[in-house]
Amino acid sequence: MSGMFNDVAVLPLMPVEDDHDTGGFFAAARRGELALRFCSECGQLLHLPRQVCFACGGARSEWRAVPGRGRVHAWTTVTHQVHPAFPTPYTVVLVDLEEIDARLVGSLPGEAELEVGQPVRVRFDRAPDGTTVPNWEVEA
Amino acid sequence: MSEALSHRDRCAIAGIGATEFSKDSGRSELTLAAQACRAALQDAGLTVADVDGVVSCDYDLVSYGAIADALGIADLTYWGQTGPGGSGPCAMVGQAVAAILSGQATTVLVYRALNGRSGRRYGLGAPDPDARVGGRGAYEEFFAPYGLVTPGQFFALLAQRHMSTYGTRYEALAEIALACREAANRNPAAQMHERALTLEQCLAARPISLPLRLFDFCLETDGACAVVVTSAERAADCAQPPVLVRAVAQSTGPRVQPGVMYPMLMRPDITVTPSQTVARTLFSRAGLGPSEVDVAQIYDCFTITVLLQLEDYGFCAKGEGGAFTESGALRPGGALPINTAGGNLSEGYVHGMNHVLEGVRQIRGTSTSQVTGAEVSLVTSAPPPGTSALLLVRG
Repeated sequence: MSGMFNDVAVLPLMPVEDDHDTGGFFAAARRGELALRFCSECGQLLHLPRQVCFACGGARSEWRAVPGRGRVHAWTTVTHQVHPAFPTPYTVVLVDLEEIDARLVGSLPGEAELEVGQPVRVRFDRAPDGTTVPNWEVEA
Repeated sequence: MSEALSHRDRCAIAGIGATEFSKDSGRSELTLAAQACRAALQDAGLTVADVDGVVSCDYDLVSYGAIADALGIADLTYWGQTGPGGSGPCAMVGQAVAAILSGQATTVLVYRALNGRSGRRYGLGAPDPDARVGGRGAYEEFFAPYGLVTPGQFFALLAQRHMSTYGTRYEALAEIALACREAANRNPAAQMHERALTLEQCLAARPISLPLRLFDFCLETDGACAVVVTSAERAADCAQPPVLVRAVAQSTGPRVQPGVMYPMLMRPDITVTPSQTVARTLFSRAGLGPSEVDVAQIYDCFTITVLLQLEDYGFCAKGEGGAFTESGALRPGGALPINTAGGNLSEGYVHGMNHVLEGVRQIRGTSTSQVTGAEVSLVTSAPPPGTSALLLVRG
């Protein structure tokens, strides 16, 4: 599913994009897609992503686009700054994806007012060099 | 799976040793480790000449070669390392037991040394702002770009979820900090020995990563702890009354996830830790249950870490940790006095190796918050990624 890009001047702590097991996640994000890794042989979701399948033992797996909608699972508002790249306050959110049994992390500005189960949708935060990280925002 | 051979009561902790706990030790981790090891040997009535094995965790900066050389060990025939710092101490004792019962060593030093305040501070988070994060199997690229960079933030997510799912009150977390502080106030060796703490101070403390506040966080400590593990027969001839390893266990639980800590957030229920599966193995190996535990040293990097473990070890049902804690159970005379030297929260943060020492003191009857007649002493190590635990009994 293609989603909205959000061009940002700085993307703090940019991800490694060429890892054998996880690189496809960020390659998909550059295309505006939220993608997870699945076993090509038995269909098992492999999240966090890795090539080999724990269910059937296969080593062929593929990236499939998944719906960019989710619900809030938990959050914390960080008020004590420990890392120079992340001015406080900001809110780290855990998101349960809709329609698929997987969870991802996001970051919202300030002290976000959230509730468990609240709907959120994906957004693609893109740095000037093209590096892109899926992030989440509260559904309007 | 075939049944494991039993190690029940076949090995003992014969000696314990520690340095002072401070904010600035003024010496290297190697010096701290060597001093704690020598203190443990002296306590046991043994000498360096008796030692043929060492075990540490893989965060320790003091290598097996360094400690062997610093102590002047003639020939090390066994060395081993367990997982990361907090999950390590009970597993480290377990590895010493394994080495002894497999004939690879007779007397094993288990140590943890760190300059946790004056040296590298864990709470600052690892990533360099200019470097890309992730790769190499750590999976940080799924967490660090969102500002999830410290263990306190990780445990705050668990606390928030527990509170919203089960109605757990902040007062329950504060009670854990207060129980640890009360014990530290009776322990002259504790970093917080002279510092009183009240519920009002906990509630008003500055927020760090909500719902967690200042006193939900453990201390940062320079110091070292060590124990001597040997066979039960040999321990019977040592200087101290032997404290037997009734059982020791490690567990990852299902779908452990890769990496060290943050990937555990991908597990279906983040309020359940691998302590739930380690408890099953531990109590089964011991032939004991949670109701027979007289006193417990529960790993406390954060207050919420304790609350989750109380449920996972079966001291109360899942979701009832708040009510159990607020009943006063964790205080002296309560159903389960915990962290009787002050724990990581108020004695010192020696990554839970200090918990092993206090578990031994309770069986010896020498704690500054002694539980009268304690016969079964539980020690736990940190939950993520896997965890470990230890049950100690009288020899």
